[in-house]
Amino acid sequence: MSVPPVSTPITLGFLTALQEPSGWLGGYLVTNSWGRPLEFRLTTAVQPNRVQTALYGPTLTEYVLADLIGKTLVEKTATKPDLIVTDVPAALALRSRLEIPVIGVKVGGVELSTDLTAFTHARSSIGLLIPNRFAADRTAVTQLLERIDPAVDLAEPFTRVREAISEARKMGVTNRAA
Amino acid sequence: MQRDDEEPDVLELDLALLTDVRPDARFERPMEPNVRETRLLNDLPWVRSVGRLEMTVATEGWKFPAPPVELTPPPPRIATEPPAGRHEIKLPQLPDKDQPPKKPIRAKPTVDTVVFKDRLLCLLQPPLDGLFDGRQLEVPFPPFPYQLEGIAFLMPRHAALLADEMGLGKTAQIILSLRLLFHQGVIRRGLIVCPKPLVFNWARELKSWAPDLPFETIEGDPERRRTAWFTSNCPLKIVNYETLTRDSDHSSDPRVAFDVVVLDEAQRIKNRDSKTAQVVRAIPRARSWAISGTPIENHPDDLVNIFAFVDPERIPPDTPPKRLQQLTSDCILRRTKDLVQSDMPPKIIKDLEIDLSPAQRAAYTLAEKEGVIHLNELGDTLTVQHVFQLVMRLKQICNFDPRTGESAKMEQLLSDMEEVAESGQKAIIFSQWVEPLHAIAKQLKRFNPLEYHGKIPQPERTPILDKFKKDPDAHVLLMSYGTGSVGLNLQFTNYVFLFDRWWNPAIEDQAINRAHRIGQKSTVTVTRFLSRETIEQRIATVLDAKRKVFNDLLANAEKPATMGLSEDEIFGLFDIRNRPKRAA
Repeated sequence: MSVPPVSTPITLGFLTALQEPSGWLGGYLVTNSWGRPLEFRLTTAVQPNRVQTALYGPTLTEYVLADLIGKTLVEKTATKPDLIVTDVPAALALRSRLEIPVIGVKVGGVELSTDLTAFTHARSSIGLLIPNRFAADRTAVTQLLERIDPAVDLAEPFTRVREAISEARKMGVTNRAA
Repeated sequence: MQRDDEEPDVLELDLALLTDVRPDARFERPMEPNVRETRLLNDLPWVRSVGRLEMTVATEGWKFPAPPVELTPPPPRIATEPPAGRHEIKLPQLPDKDQPPKKPIRAKPTVDTVVFKDRLLCLLQPPLDGLFDGRQLEVPFPPFPYQLEGIAFLMPRHAALLADEMGLGKTAQIILSLRLLFHQGVIRRGLIVCPKPLVFNWARELKSWAPDLPFETIEGDPERRRTAWFTSNCPLKIVNYETLTRDSDHSSDPRVAFDVVVLDEAQRIKNRDSKTAQVVRAIPRARSWAISGTPIENHPDDLVNIFAFVDPERIPPDTPPKRLQQLTSDCILRRTKDLVQSDMPPKIIKDLEIDLSPAQRAAYTLAEKEGVIHLNELGDTLTVQHVFQLVMRLKQICNFDPRTGESAKMEQLLSDMEEVAESGQKAIIFSQWVEPLHAIAKQLKRFNPLEYHGKIPQPERTPILDKFKKDPDAHVLLMSYGTGSVGLNLQFTNYVFLFDRWWNPAIEDQAINRAHRIGQKSTVTVTRFLSRETIEQRIATVLDAKRKVFNDLLANAEKPATMGLSEDEIFGLFDIRNRPKRAA
């Protein structure tokens, strides 16, 4: 994994997923290093049936969030990010499907797997997570974070993404995504 | 009974079995095996489908306009070695646990925003709070929370009237909103229309609040202006009302269409049929923003006519004034200093009633007596202009005695100015006329007075303001209401004297707010001179009653009224026996 040269503006991807009665809804916002939106993409709801739930077993959540929602959103979005941040720990597995570093923000109340390492950085008001398997990304991630505008808080854009998903739901956009 | 020695009788029985053998017809036929088909084990087992096991997801995406290259974020600031010596380090403030966390200030889509992509773009913007704390965007000082709310109000709106009270920093709010919209790539061409004396002020404020935003002023000879209208690709242009009217053919050309047009001092178009109003309305544009601290100077129609530019469809013809507030409330943002007082130092207004000097009183009494006699003699030919002339004459006597030059106000002013200069402060003195300003300048010579009024040529005005700001010995600036009441930022001044009173309280407020505005760090003391038992006092009584009307109109459009003196009220200032019937 290579860090873009200092003169190149960097882009950040913020990935979240909401579990709703209709299934998992994914939302993905790409911003510039000032946190300004460049692109937004959302998914239709993914609702595994009982057989799928039984057959995927404990791998279901990771499959839905990382492979299905996360990977699809990142790949379908025109602007490629230099760093992906997610507030859903299961989506951190996305790192093994892409050549882009993926870190998580440590949302309170969620029990953390031992596969994750916590760390802190001035660009986030809450703790950050990185998969142990990809601990080697840490240096590159830190270099990228240093290049983000100091006013940006990595935990903040998820509020925007959730509001946008909520707005999309109100306007019926989540049913027509194609 | 049988005896034991007797032999038993034996009977022979034939035990041979006789068999009868007969042929069976079934054995006469050859045997035929019964064959049945059966499946072999290598057949496929029985299968029932349980549905698709693979899962799929569909997505929909929106790409937003990219910021122009010149407005892309600058490279990160490189840490520099701190200079040697002791430094005061400001420790970060810990959050107060007792205080609930502040809700971030963000722009919200308006009810009029119907395109989903536009709503998304608004919702996905970062909160405004963090943008201006000096880390991300260069600003002279962080905007106040109410100013951030103003920016959040303006940004999503295509039709907006920012009607904050004078001095609350409307210009900064507009500039920062424009700056962010340019950064987002939402707008690429903007036009600011303002009164001529304020062009320099806008230029200065733009340099201060949006140093990364290129702008140019449309001015000069016709060819140069034509180039500015049609050829220049500068994103933001400034033009004054007079030049705009002159260039109406250019400004209405569809090729010069703007993404946003900002109208400063929008009360300039309160007369719907004026050439200026027509030219302004003809500018092709996507967003129409108006700024005015006094959107209703005289009549609710002023607001209706401003909306003919802001959003022509919003107010249907013949709408009763009481419905105006309901129709326009979503597009108007007005805050008063009372509302944001915690952000501003207080303003103290002193109404100083002064007795005329003996010479002034004699001249005044004579002039009024003769004047009223003259008015009464005019009979049916009497017009409001005749009354107006008398009022002006009397007001001038209240300033200075025409024969001796005596002035009770001047004596008081000299005394007050001693105090102002002694404390190293500065003062602005307003008058309705230029002549009293000259007279005041002579008497205040030791305070190095500077004059700023209509008789000062335009190119000389800015250097005068700069000198007043920078020269510690220049303690006083003499201004006429007409020239100095709008748009100037003189918040380094702590004293304002209204040597005489204007006809309209809104104009007086504008004058006062040159000093009492954002950036002011100390209390502003306003002294309004009033000659006792004169026409000044009578006018003040009428105006004070009207001063409240302005705010009532914006909050509750039940009281349409004129803000200045009506014709009837001007006649009512004197004891005139034969008033013209139309004015009665």
